[in-house]
Amino acid sequence: MKPDFLKGIRFTDLTWAGAGPFGTKVFSDFGAEVLKIESTTRLDSVRTAGPYKDGVFGLNRSGYFASRNTGKKSISLNLKSEEGKRIVRELVAQSDVVSNNFGPGAMDRFGFSYEALREIKPDIIYLSMPMYGQDGPRADLLGVGMTISAVTSIMWQTAYGPDDPVGPGTHYPDHAANPYHAAFAVLAALAYRRKTGRGMKIDLSQVESTINFVGPAIVEASATGSEPPQIGNRSRSHAPHNVFRARGDDAWVAVAVTDDAQWRALASLMGRDDLAADATLANATGRLAALDRVEKAVADWCAVRTPEEIVSTLREQRIAVAEVAHSRKLIESDPQLAHRRYWQRVQHPEIGAVLLNSPPYLIDGERVELDRPPLLGEHTRDVLGNLLGMSAKQLDELDDQGVFS
Amino acid sequence: MNSPFEDVLILDLTWDLGRYVGRLFGDLGARVVRIEPPGGLPDRRAAKSADATQREPAVYEFEFLNAGKDCLTLELDAQHGRDAFAALAREAKVILVERGGPLYDDVSWIREHAPSAVVTSVSPYGRTGPWADAEANDLTLQAAGGIAWLSGRVTDAPLRLPGVQATMITGVYAATATSLALYDTLATGRGHEVDVSAQECIAHSLQNSIQMWDFERKVSMRGGEGTRDASEDMFACRDGLVFLAAPRSLGVSWNALVGWIEETGHDAAQELTKDRWADRVWRLTAEAKAIFRQTLESFTRDYTQEELTREALKRKIVMGPVAKVAEVLDDPQLRHRGYFEAVELALAGARVDFPGAPYRLSEPVWRLKRAVAGAEQPQPA
Repeated sequence: MKPDFLKGIRFTDLTWAGAGPFGTKVFSDFGAEVLKIESTTRLDSVRTAGPYKDGVFGLNRSGYFASRNTGKKSISLNLKSEEGKRIVRELVAQSDVVSNNFGPGAMDRFGFSYEALREIKPDIIYLSMPMYGQDGPRADLLGVGMTISAVTSIMWQTAYGPDDPVGPGTHYPDHAANPYHAAFAVLAALAYRRKTGRGMKIDLSQVESTINFVGPAIVEASATGSEPPQIGNRSRSHAPHNVFRARGDDAWVAVAVTDDAQWRALASLMGRDDLAADATLANATGRLAALDRVEKAVADWCAVRTPEEIVSTLREQRIAVAEVAHSRKLIESDPQLAHRRYWQRVQHPEIGAVLLNSPPYLIDGERVELDRPPLLGEHTRDVLGNLLGMSAKQLDELDDQGVFS
Repeated sequence: MNSPFEDVLILDLTWDLGRYVGRLFGDLGARVVRIEPPGGLPDRRAAKSADATQREPAVYEFEFLNAGKDCLTLELDAQHGRDAFAALAREAKVILVERGGPLYDDVSWIREHAPSAVVTSVSPYGRTGPWADAEANDLTLQAAGGIAWLSGRVTDAPLRLPGVQATMITGVYAATATSLALYDTLATGRGHEVDVSAQECIAHSLQNSIQMWDFERKVSMRGGEGTRDASEDMFACRDGLVFLAAPRSLGVSWNALVGWIEETGHDAAQELTKDRWADRVWRLTAEAKAIFRQTLESFTRDYTQEELTREALKRKIVMGPVAKVAEVLDDPQLRHRGYFEAVELALAGARVDFPGAPYRLSEPVWRLKRAVAGAEQPQPA
């Protein structure tokens, strides 16, 4: 399906890099017109971040960019020029939402503060998503997604065990917490505007947004005055509950026993009737107290079996289990994702068929079909001509002046 | 009519992966009613368990994920309970169900009574497919969705992200999908059915690893092995750890860092000004990482987190403290912004600093209420 839920909604989208564009992509995927303001003089850093098709660099060849910008229109404008800024203001006047993820003060320096743009469009919805908020002693701290993981305790908590943190392997807050809290807030603002006629400013501090993703741990630390334990793949309430090595090259399975009957079934199928009959292991408290013994039994059993054998055997017993999947497995051999037609290939004029994740849900039983990402500046003339009524001559003049660079 | 979802009634039958959805709507004005069987849904039973092993951390998850929700006990196995639910469903705009919870297998019946509502199903693997009934929990979903693969040391096992990240990731995607559908429903009267798979949500959050395979036939490895610069890591300082990012692609950060070290006259500058640090490829190697760690820590161990953060701010170095959980509560930036909300917990029996809004809105429409302790009696239809 190509949903039209947001037909008629227009974004002037100044976001760049990871978290911002991933959030505004939600809107272009659902029928909104998202005008991505870019520039060759200040490239979206994700256009110059790999991977590139066939490993060959090009501004329209980044797969990372493609995955964050489906269905958007690209308008190339040099915002250092007065004409470029004027055009942005004209676009905002005809937009419902203006979005950015610059640092504090950057929009003000462009003349694009909320107050200034609200004068142009009184009911504008204004999304701003700096790392640490607009004001305060650390507002100007520079950071990347991993910095957000660091200051929110996610890095500390992503640990094999006590005092052994390693942190997430990705810029995790950029890929879920921040784009999707931002999208949810804009949708709420659109609902509010439909009822009241009023726009609003959304100040999304990416640190504040991300802290909610570890909200329970924060509440616990505040309630108890002590640090929640670093438990890695284990559980404080259940055992065995860990990632175990399976037979094969760097093959691993996650096994989570969450009730006593599952434990008895697991012990039996492992051929360990001694463990199944051991009264000290009959409940989770006992198994947690004997973790080394319990985990060794599971580890020994898994080590000589393939992930497929382990998964099929334990699933029959209603035990939670999964192979630790990597990208290739998800794409090429995950039967569940294949059955649900999760992967889409979208044709792109420079790089051919691009593999993309579908939005991770079905709506009315159907997949949301994605449109391809734009080439840099692909829609500049169309949008300025049709939306702002500029003539071909005016567009040529602006181009000659370098406004579209 | 002064908050985005004030006139929206949400019936929330979720108990794990779907709980954050109602929380987000409730904070913005929706009336969210947890419908629970006598004795409560599994998350409430765990949160109220007399056994501390089962109660923690479940009680804190319950307090956080169910804040602001009302609660109603209904016997949905009995006719009077079904009738009561049907009456509520006729008024509801959103109904949230989750695999393993009430009415997950009765969506057709729900939609008969709520044809103009959004019915969102949350489940580990989605409603359809060979794994639709497979057991799962946070750990196995992080494994099946591909995110556990990406964290940890390459010499050790893959490592899941902490807390209940499968619930959090699924929650924000499901909330967004529900809100998109609701936007249409309120405009057109069309009801919608949303089928959210936690595995798919997690697989949607893997940075660029899908395209790395598609375009370059490379499997992204845990810990950024082979792709992460020597400078992008945690480093020891006098009182803890700091996270630094100063790859050559962030030239400002690298130059400011090296400039500061030179300014102090520290020996580390002699190493870091060598030509080899201009070689982006060499910087990815284990050799470079070992040299960089030893060199940088010889410098950073003389400073506290606070001192390093102050210099990072002043000099535009991408560096900040690696906070422990309790330290987040004392973060000076968050304190300055009045981020935390004082909340009296319903079940855990303490007054706490509770995470504030994920977004600040210029209109006063976000409001936090604590979770409901529960054990309400069945209500008449």
